[in-house]
Amino acid sequence: MNDLAVQFDGVSKRYTHFSLENIHLELSTGSIMGFIGANGAGKSTTIRILMGLVHQDAGTVRVLGHAMPAEQAAAKLDIGFVSEDMRLYGAATLAWHMDFLRPMYPRWDQAYAERLTQRFDLKPQQKIKGLSHGQRVKAALLLALARRPRLLVLDEPTTGLDPVARVEVLGELMAALADEERTILFSSHNTLDVEQISDQITFIDRGRIIDSDDKEVFLDRWRRLRLVLPADGVVPRLPGVVEVGGSSRLPVLTTNQFEPAMVSICNDLGATVQAVDTMTLEEIFVANVHSRRERLTA
Amino acid sequence: MNYSMVKNLILKDWYFQRQGILLSLAGGAVSLGIVAFGGKPGFTLGLILLVTIMAMISAMTVMANVIGERENQTLAFVMSLPISYLEYTTSKILGNLLIFVPFWLTMLAGSVALIVAAPVIHGFFAFAIIMAVEILVSTCLMIAVALVSESKGWAISAMVVGNVALNIVGYLVAHIPGIRDGMFGTVIQWRPAATISLIVEFALIALMLGGAFYFQSRKKDFI
Repeated sequence: MNDLAVQFDGVSKRYTHFSLENIHLELSTGSIMGFIGANGAGKSTTIRILMGLVHQDAGTVRVLGHAMPAEQAAAKLDIGFVSEDMRLYGAATLAWHMDFLRPMYPRWDQAYAERLTQRFDLKPQQKIKGLSHGQRVKAALLLALARRPRLLVLDEPTTGLDPVARVEVLGELMAALADEERTILFSSHNTLDVEQISDQITFIDRGRIIDSDDKEVFLDRWRRLRLVLPADGVVPRLPGVVEVGGSSRLPVLTTNQFEPAMVSICNDLGATVQAVDTMTLEEIFVANVHSRRERLTA
Repeated sequence: MNYSMVKNLILKDWYFQRQGILLSLAGGAVSLGIVAFGGKPGFTLGLILLVTIMAMISAMTVMANVIGERENQTLAFVMSLPISYLEYTTSKILGNLLIFVPFWLTMLAGSVALIVAAPVIHGFFAFAIIMAVEILVSTCLMIAVALVSESKGWAISAMVVGNVALNIVGYLVAHIPGIRDGMFGTVIQWRPAATISLIVEFALIALMLGGAFYFQSRKKDFI
């Protein structure tokens, strides 16, 4: 029994000015993956390939046991999809959308849809064009969740929301997700959103996956070490250093392989460790991207 | 093929076009009334109005159902449903035809009834049928081009080509000996030339819609 909900193996897609190269991505059933990348990094292309909406040039994609794009209709029966560039029909009401989707999904849960309507503070008889952007995102989430999907794919759902609406949407999404266990792929360029919701993190940059691991592992192994060097001291060679900043006397080392023993190693080498700073996911992402781009240009 | 899904998508397109369909039917009925009771000037005016309404409903449905879904970004919503490209393409072709054809058939039946009822224009029978089918050909061209190109520019170009072709075909058909002879007579005639013209038109429809399925199946990007 394959317990992978999503499996990309050597997937490539080429456009004139952008290419997705050799993507390997695995998402275990029941896990929540945050998919982080800058604008234009390839998140949406990857997700569109996952949904069968864009066909890969090379490699294989399996989603919920279905080969994509060939078996996309069967796979999409178990996928709830919300995308930043997806719109509902403005001339129709939320109730119409629910009636439209209900016969298509055998597991459609009308009672749950009605509970979500109340939780999201939506009015079923209101036309979509009369809703605010935040309400439209909530309506799209409701329609995705009420299908009781095995896989929920959220492609930048919070983009364009004001801070209040973003917090509301995320809070309500997390409350809705607390109801039961689902496999989720959540893409965003906003690391704060992803950090709140995910247990796995994947970084993508310029069409390539640059790192993927458990969120806690990321947060544990990335550190900034603030050192003080003697007048003729040299920066100690530590494992996993991806960036050296600061000044020659007060260097700041960013490492992705932090171990507590590094502090004593530095002291042994004549450098004083002034501070060991934890890093936010955003700082980890930025350092990761910068170090990769520097390696590529070196 | 999931026919239930195709049916749901077609009903959805009908739902969003319901006002346009009703207005077009009303406009068509008014046009036929003008043709029937407007005397000689009314006959010409009513026919022009009828053809204009047919062209309008054809363009309106294709623009709203195919191009509009891309422009309004509802295509991503539709394509996220449990459907394949084949079901999407089938629903769009059938959906557009099922909006246009009932209107077209009603207007065709009305036109035929008017011709049959007025012996003075009996000779127009074959010409009217061929030109009515030509309007269907233009509609299918627009559906196929809009589906494959997903571009408003190309869809409008197809509409222009269809309308120009309507005039050219009208001129050519009116000069085919088997149709021209007796066109202004008072006897309903159906000669082999008319049958061949219809076969060519329906072959063109099959070619264009088959081509739409073929090119859709080769598409790699749906949104």
